[in-house]
Amino acid sequence: MDVKFLNPFLEAAFVVLQSELGMDAERGELSLERSAATADDISVLISIVGEVVGMVLYSLSEHTALAIVSKILEQPFDEFDELAQSGIGELGNVITGQAGQRVAKLGFDVNISPPTMILGKGTLISTLDFDRLVVPLRTELGALNIHLALREANTVG
Amino acid sequence: MTKIMVVDDAKFMRVRLSKLLTGHGYEVVEAENGEEAIQVYKASHPDAVLMDITMPQKTGLEALIEIRGFDPQAKVIMLTALGQESMVVQAVQSGARDYVVKPFDPDRVMMALKKVLG
Repeated sequence: MDVKFLNPFLEAAFVVLQSELGMDAERGELSLERSAATADDISVLISIVGEVVGMVLYSLSEHTALAIVSKILEQPFDEFDELAQSGIGELGNVITGQAGQRVAKLGFDVNISPPTMILGKGTLISTLDFDRLVVPLRTELGALNIHLALREANTVG
Repeated sequence: MTKIMVVDDAKFMRVRLSKLLTGHGYEVVEAENGEEAIQVYKASHPDAVLMDITMPQKTGLEALIEIRGFDPQAKVIMLTALGQESMVVQAVQSGARDYVVKPFDPDRVMMALKKVLG
């Protein structure tokens, strides 16, 4: 994992959360994790290809996810239904898109995949079983955790 | 009533834009991909279109070209999550009137719409 790619994602997340929720996020402690099991109720996985390869995963509790979509759409959500899933997937998509622009400014062109939604804490995903940096971003609505595993395409592991 | 077509593969974005537009007195029709956008456009003749650039099946760029092929006056504003300049340039060269980068500012969307509607 190349840490120089962390800041573009954090900056993008701060900008998007401020724009979409009207609130600042606070960065929590950085950790290194390796587990094939998802750590939260909801995970949004986005693959990154191009001159930088890997994945970013956004994870959060269902409570936080419902609070976020309720705030953005200005209507209450009681269950994490198709519309709410679409909202959280789009949030991950927009943060990653903005981060991709910032990564491009570092000199690396990237493309991002559509978001994949993984529901359930402890769900085993074999392709998650590698080292990744995890940074929690705390907001008034709860924490959004960013899991990042990226490297330059012409380097190994 | 002025009719706007909203095209995005993300249901959340369609609902969000529809709420914004109906709140400003517009009638809204929706499509969830480029292929459907062409059919809905032909059937409902919207006054303007807000369309995501990156979508499965047929992209917003492909749909834009096809729509402009049978309606050269079509007023299309592109939405992009990626801010990819090359795609935006292609869209403008293909007849898009404007573009809005996500996360969108509602005021920016309304301003772009009012501009293209004249």
